[in-house]
Amino acid sequence: MYIFLGCTTPMKQYAYELSLRAVFPRLGIEIVDMPDSNCCGTPLMGVNRFYNVYAPARLMAIAEAGGLDIVAPCNGCHLALSEAAFMLREKKNLLEQVNALLKEEGLKYTGKVKVYHPVEVLYGLVGVEKISSAISYKLPPLKFACHPGCHLVRPSHIGRPEQRDGKLKLEALTEAIGLQTRDHPEKYECCGAAMIPYSTDAAIKTVAMRIKKFVEGGFDGVTTLCPYCFDMIDGKQDAAKTITGDRSLSIPTFYYTQLLGLAMGISERELGLNLNMSPVGSVLEKLRR
Amino acid sequence: MAEEPKVGVYICHCGVNIAGVVNVKEVVDYASTLPNVVIAKDYPFMCSDPGQNLIIEDIKTKGLNRVVVASCSPRMHEPTFRKALERAGLNPYLLEMANIREHCSWVHEKQPREATEKAKELVEAAVAKARMLKPIETVKMPAVKRALVIGGGVAGIRAALDIANSGFEVYLVEKRPSIGGNMARLDKTFPTLDCSQCILTPLMVEVAQHPNIKLLTYSEVISVEGSVGNFTVKILKKPRYVNEDLCTGCGICEQKCPYTVPSEFNLGLGKRKVIYFEFPQAVPLKPVLDRDNCVYFKKGTCRACERFCPAKAIDFNQQPKEITINVGAIILATGYALYDVKTKMPEYRYGLSKNVITGLELERLTSATGPTKGAILRPSDNKEPKNVAIILCVGSRDEKHLDYCCRFGCVAGIKHAYYIVSHIPDAKVTICYTDIRAFGKGYEDFYARIRSLDNVQFIRGRPMEIFEDTNGSLYFDVFDQNTNRLIRLNPDLVVLETGVVPDPSFEQIATVLKCSRGPDGFALELHPKLRPTETSVDGVFIAGVVQGPKDIPDTVAQAGAAAASAVSLLAKGEVESVPNVASVNQDLCSGCGVCEVVCPYTAIVLEARNGGRVAKVEAAKCKGCGACAAACPSGAMTQLGFEDKQIIPQIEVLARGR
Amino acid sequence: MQTCAQTDILDAVRKVIGDQRPEACYQCMKCTSGCPAAKVTDYRPHLMVILTKAGLAEEVMQSGIIWACSMCLKCKEYCPQDVAPFDVVTALKNVAISRGYKPPEMLVGMANSVLDYGYIMDKPMTITTTEFEEVSRESLGLPDIAHPKDMEKFKKLVSNFGYRRLS
Repeated sequence: MYIFLGCTTPMKQYAYELSLRAVFPRLGIEIVDMPDSNCCGTPLMGVNRFYNVYAPARLMAIAEAGGLDIVAPCNGCHLALSEAAFMLREKKNLLEQVNALLKEEGLKYTGKVKVYHPVEVLYGLVGVEKISSAISYKLPPLKFACHPGCHLVRPSHIGRPEQRDGKLKLEALTEAIGLQTRDHPEKYECCGAAMIPYSTDAAIKTVAMRIKKFVEGGFDGVTTLCPYCFDMIDGKQDAAKTITGDRSLSIPTFYYTQLLGLAMGISERELGLNLNMSPVGSVLEKLRR
Repeated sequence: MAEEPKVGVYICHCGVNIAGVVNVKEVVDYASTLPNVVIAKDYPFMCSDPGQNLIIEDIKTKGLNRVVVASCSPRMHEPTFRKALERAGLNPYLLEMANIREHCSWVHEKQPREATEKAKELVEAAVAKARMLKPIETVKMPAVKRALVIGGGVAGIRAALDIANSGFEVYLVEKRPSIGGNMARLDKTFPTLDCSQCILTPLMVEVAQHPNIKLLTYSEVISVEGSVGNFTVKILKKPRYVNEDLCTGCGICEQKCPYTVPSEFNLGLGKRKVIYFEFPQAVPLKPVLDRDNCVYFKKGTCRACERFCPAKAIDFNQQPKEITINVGAIILATGYALYDVKTKMPEYRYGLSKNVITGLELERLTSATGPTKGAILRPSDNKEPKNVAIILCVGSRDEKHLDYCCRFGCVAGIKHAYYIVSHIPDAKVTICYTDIRAFGKGYEDFYARIRSLDNVQFIRGRPMEIFEDTNGSLYFDVFDQNTNRLIRLNPDLVVLETGVVPDPSFEQIATVLKCSRGPDGFALELHPKLRPTETSVDGVFIAGVVQGPKDIPDTVAQAGAAAASAVSLLAKGEVESVPNVASVNQDLCSGCGVCEVVCPYTAIVLEARNGGRVAKVEAAKCKGCGACAAACPSGAMTQLGFEDKQIIPQIEVLARGR
Repeated sequence: MQTCAQTDILDAVRKVIGDQRPEACYQCMKCTSGCPAAKVTDYRPHLMVILTKAGLAEEVMQSGIIWACSMCLKCKEYCPQDVAPFDVVTALKNVAISRGYKPPEMLVGMANSVLDYGYIMDKPMTITTTEFEEVSRESLGLPDIAHPKDMEKFKKLVSNFGYRRLS
């Protein structure tokens, strides 16, 4: 399937891309780069709402022309594509408008392309059992908190990969490689990324609240599958400490694909484990074989 | 027809409802030109006394034998005008109505010219049919002078007593082991704070002792056949495994039973024995052995109850019993259940956090007969809460859940605040409300009284969710519009005033009775203002929350109204058949049986005739729905009042020139 | 003190694509109660909706508070009247831009970058790791990013629905 990386992953969150490219093929998921690609529009919904329908349609039309489905690792991108598909199904005049524009590039949107998030690929297409057998060793049962991220859970009426009830797919996947998961308050709460343009201060204070709950919960680490959430939780811990004055706001943060890759015996370099900003060193020692 | 039709046409202005759009005079003039029309008139309000008298006078003085009234929908006044014809000595079914209001003036307000033309056509079509109308005689059948009340909550109890006190026999069927319903679960009732059990149990005892009431508890209605005046009802009496004639209600069996399970009456809080009385004031005061959890039934051991029962009343071989009864009227009063907040609204953590409870569960905690003997204690650690948050409108007024208001949640929440502060003097209560609906008698006063307490705070804001912190304590944020502040609350107990839905048993009963449901799932009344206890099924009445959420005063009032409707039916002692019954020409009938299959009222049977079979309509059961007439392939089945030779002239008028 | 209610804002909000129904709101405060932005700024989604409904939204477009929304979608998920406050505010943002109000500086950069390069950033960043190593997409051996093949055409097409350069 095509991998639609969006903006943040290929331009900043290299560890996500590295670990995805390392893990997927070894699990039998062939990923192909898109021949032509653009921003999905999620960060710009307030600037132009229509772009956020046109751009995803363009991407899905490109994928359809290439005959492959799409995996979108970023929650925001996945939501943009899913929501656009939903709206284009519901509103015929919107579909006409969009296709009139796509026609200029020789493209057409029919809604045939399926859009996956890595959590769906790993849980649904690969499966927890295959993952358990694909790993070379089970990670020690350290306690990990799973942060799905807002856009993986909401808005539920269009269907999202995760649900706000019961065990997360991400938690099942985390347990499949040997780690322990536990519930924590504010699991479905926001990382604050989208507030950065308005007020970095406000955004940091928000992620600080999330990190606080991870720390209070006594977790050994946090795992997520969204570049924005990772950017906030992993990358802003120092800022969080400074702005709130709370020196306890520190927790090793990983992309799930990094942890999965570790369990599969892939090198830390290939998984981009040198790129995490949070203090992963001591936990990595425990996780190594 | 022997005589020539002499049609009188009456065009109603309906104030300005019709006359404001349709040129009534023009329609009158046009009607006068139609063949067989002897007189055409208009009048501001045909349904009024003088309006009706116009018709009656003309029938008497001009010898009219057919009447057309062009006015509002027949659903409004067809009975009115039929009675007018009757008073004038004419068969009431020689009336035809043209709806020039709902079907004309009200929907074509901006096109008066076209509306007038349409009104003329509708009147002409009505005249065309009227010419072909034949008198119809209805049949009177005796009604069984007995009623059935389904549901033994306060609505069913009140209705049963009212019917019984009017001198009629009534069966009261209740699926639980005791009557009392949800009201028996309450500690106090608002606004007077009467002890709920204290005001209810005298009525329950009255039911048990009333010579006219046959009480069938732990029983369910499984089928209903027949129609108004003559229903045949099959009831299944589930086995208690206790011989009710021998049992004295001494309670030794309950004491000696070694096993406990969660108590349904206490909504899962606290336990009950496997052989148990639902609650201390249960009526009848006989225990029930819960077969599914009984060790004897599961493994063949124990039998402690049997060993210790002084009256030798335990009977493990008791079988379910099917009872068939005949009644003339049925009242449906199956009550309510709480909305499934556990599954549908996981964000409030009901079912996940022990200290998040429903208002009804708080009633059980506060009640002296409850699991904590009336002490309000947190389910997690049995300690008194000091900081209680009460959240109103949980699941109600919500397009994603229940779009209607539960009607009693506001005052119940206020009452619950009172429970907390009166039991625990140093406790603080915060009520998170959206609007306070304190509409009933004494409710505003009650609200004012609780509002002025220092330890009760009202916050105008609906919280989105509740969190359970790592250490098990609860917290949530709510924006208080009153003080314009975002507030974080850290309650040690949260009470949810949830929305209500019809009791799950209603689903099956509604199907059995063919009782319509509204879009909100509650039983549908015939008219929301004027006929709140009648349903689309003749002889089936509704009372209480089954018809829609309401408080106890409204429930009891409606129960009385339903009882009155039932009694008026039974007192008359007879029911009239429907005029528009199906009628079969047996000479044309091929005996195919399609009509029998489509009839929803089992009013058609096939009988043997000349070596074959033909259909026969039992006019008493026929409700005039017309399905058989429409389905009949050979044209043998017609419907009185809607025969082909009556409808075709109407169609010819309306199809003309199109 | 504002005296006239501006219904043109409500009309403009309705024209933007989305599920917004500001007219349905009965001010229950649920959205603001759960809003992450409300906890750390003066942003109040319920207020955005009621001001829009009342025709008084000019002041929030002016103050720029509408840009504080964290896009968490909780308000849309839990609103009992399907108002979808998020959709109302997103529409307000669109209306604000069309009326010449500037969004936060960072968004201006991101919006213009999409017109020039198809992405919110012009080129991949060079990151310094915690071990003070400098890495780039190239140094990590990651393949080149595909941009829209014909940027001019792309720019022209998106201008069809009003997506223009912000200054």
